[in-house]
Amino acid sequence: MSTTEKAMEAFVHETGSWVAAQLESCTRCGMCAEACHFYQATGNPEYAPVWKMELLRRAYEQRFTLVGGIKLSLGLDKPITDEEIAHWGELNYEACTVCNKCSMVCPMGIDIGSLLHGMRAGLAAAGAIPADLAAAVTKQVDEGSPLGMTDKVWDQRLEWVADEWEVEIPRDVKGATTLVVFSSIEVMKFPANVAAIAKVLNKAGEKWTVSSKAREIVNFGFYEGSEEHTKLFLNRVLDGAKDLGVKRIVVTECGHAYDALRWHAANWIPEASNFEVIHITGVLGELIGSGRIKIKPGFFNDGGKITFHDACKIQRKGGHIQEPRDILKVLAPDAFIEMTPNREESVCCGGGGGVIAVKAADPVRYASFELKIDQVNTVSAKTVAMTCSNCRLQFTDGVDHFKLDWKVAGLSQMVADALEE
Amino acid sequence: MNQQTVLEFARGPFFYFALLFMLFGLAYRLFSVISLGWSKNRVPNKGSQAKGVFMTFLKGVLIWPFIPWVKNTFTRNPLIYIGGGLFHLSLFVVIILGTPHMLVTKSLVGVQWATLPLPIVDFMAATGIIAMLILLVNRMIHPVMKLISGPAEYLAWLFVFLPMITGYMMTHHIGGSYESLFTRHMITVDVLMIWIPLSRLSHFVFYFFSRAIHGQEFGKRGVAV
Repeated sequence: MSTTEKAMEAFVHETGSWVAAQLESCTRCGMCAEACHFYQATGNPEYAPVWKMELLRRAYEQRFTLVGGIKLSLGLDKPITDEEIAHWGELNYEACTVCNKCSMVCPMGIDIGSLLHGMRAGLAAAGAIPADLAAAVTKQVDEGSPLGMTDKVWDQRLEWVADEWEVEIPRDVKGATTLVVFSSIEVMKFPANVAAIAKVLNKAGEKWTVSSKAREIVNFGFYEGSEEHTKLFLNRVLDGAKDLGVKRIVVTECGHAYDALRWHAANWIPEASNFEVIHITGVLGELIGSGRIKIKPGFFNDGGKITFHDACKIQRKGGHIQEPRDILKVLAPDAFIEMTPNREESVCCGGGGGVIAVKAADPVRYASFELKIDQVNTVSAKTVAMTCSNCRLQFTDGVDHFKLDWKVAGLSQMVADALEE
Repeated sequence: MNQQTVLEFARGPFFYFALLFMLFGLAYRLFSVISLGWSKNRVPNKGSQAKGVFMTFLKGVLIWPFIPWVKNTFTRNPLIYIGGGLFHLSLFVVIILGTPHMLVTKSLVGVQWATLPLPIVDFMAATGIIAMLILLVNRMIHPVMKLISGPAEYLAWLFVFLPMITGYMMTHHIGGSYESLFTRHMITVDVLMIWIPLSRLSHFVFYFFSRAIHGQEFGKRGVAV
């Protein structure tokens, strides 16, 4: 099968009434362009979300509609070519974080982000993935983690975190209520976050555990758009959960992983609905709201202004919008300030959806981060808090690249630091 | 064939043919989309889908059009937003609240309703025509619009524009005898009705799907639409 045939097959597989009704609804008004941070930052018209999903639309029109078939036979439209597949691979993997802000501005209400994920499914099937992203996927298939967190490394890192921060991390505890699955970004790059979450859960008296089987929550198959890989990585987590007999799975500060496990897994793997899936932000909100942990009011009041960055998959697509604000209003009632726009309308960090793993995307990734710089500087914040390690990676890299004097903070860590003894 | 015969044809057999073509065409399009199959959602919801759907229609129809400046969409796209908004408003006013159009519906299905005075309808028609011209220029010069526009987009524009301009000329008796103006209007209307199911102009049918999907997606996550 040729590259294009593979892509077409995947596009056709993706297209049911749900997708078709939305493709039919698009009027090509072009409003989605202005919602996209990559378009805003560069002005490249090809970054308009409607254009990024052009091949999915053409595949639908050619295969499923009478008019499309007639156009094709009259030569008014041409079959999709391998070159086009390769080009759209670049557009989608280098200049789209699947943040779904475009859906907020579409006058027809089209869930463009989901259609762009469908677009990735076709591109992934055709192998039109940037080499570095493909390598990360392969690494996750072979070693269990895209960041080289093998069994051995995971073991050593958690041991080290437990020692260094003097915190207990329960492992493979059968009969625990909650399974916590960290992302390798946290374990490898933000270990203090791992310690913080452990500290908070221990303090709350939660019966929790990590699993040596389900040790990686990151899902590079979901970035890539490959259903096969996404399911493989989801199953590793679910198998770990099943072995330990837990009731719920907590996804730590990782966005795409949360989207995959919370909002999609049950539709691919029916057993996933046996578990409650919740993001750590929701857990923090619950624990503080119910009084199971107490945080020191005003603990972060004196270090300059603090703002909150809403992540696409945890806030806009995850619904954990209010909890971080409730927490920050306690921790820093005078210092907390909102950026504009915020909440479900927030501007993406620019590094999600696998973009940060793609070297060729660096110029547009930095360009789009400048929108974030403007937002933060407008409110003169010195600290930017967030609940997604992928955003945090983009922020720490951006701070470094643009030599900014901000602090980038994970919300869990702030809560752990401000815990009442 | 004299003028009268052409007019009789355009408002008689051709009109009925175009009307039926539009209705059956749209029904076919709708059926072919619906029959592709809907997958069942097994994911437990966080918020209410019904509330999301209700809110998204409420906001989309009754709130955002009247306080657009609270949306970033508006501040970054004022031209498309205002132009597109006024064009659609003009369309509704002229087709539904214009007396001659109401009378056509009355003759077809026997239902009648109160309409607006001609000067108001006429003003809205002119607004719609101007909005369409501005949107056309924007489509021709804006880099994104240029990229996403092909013959299909320009033809759709043309087939909507012609009935509007001929209707306006007919109201003001510009450019010929009443019969010839009426004939031109009727023919362009007939062509438009045939073009609707063959093109993206059918979006008004699928709007209800995509809006509802938007409400469901945001509602089930407990996020404001």
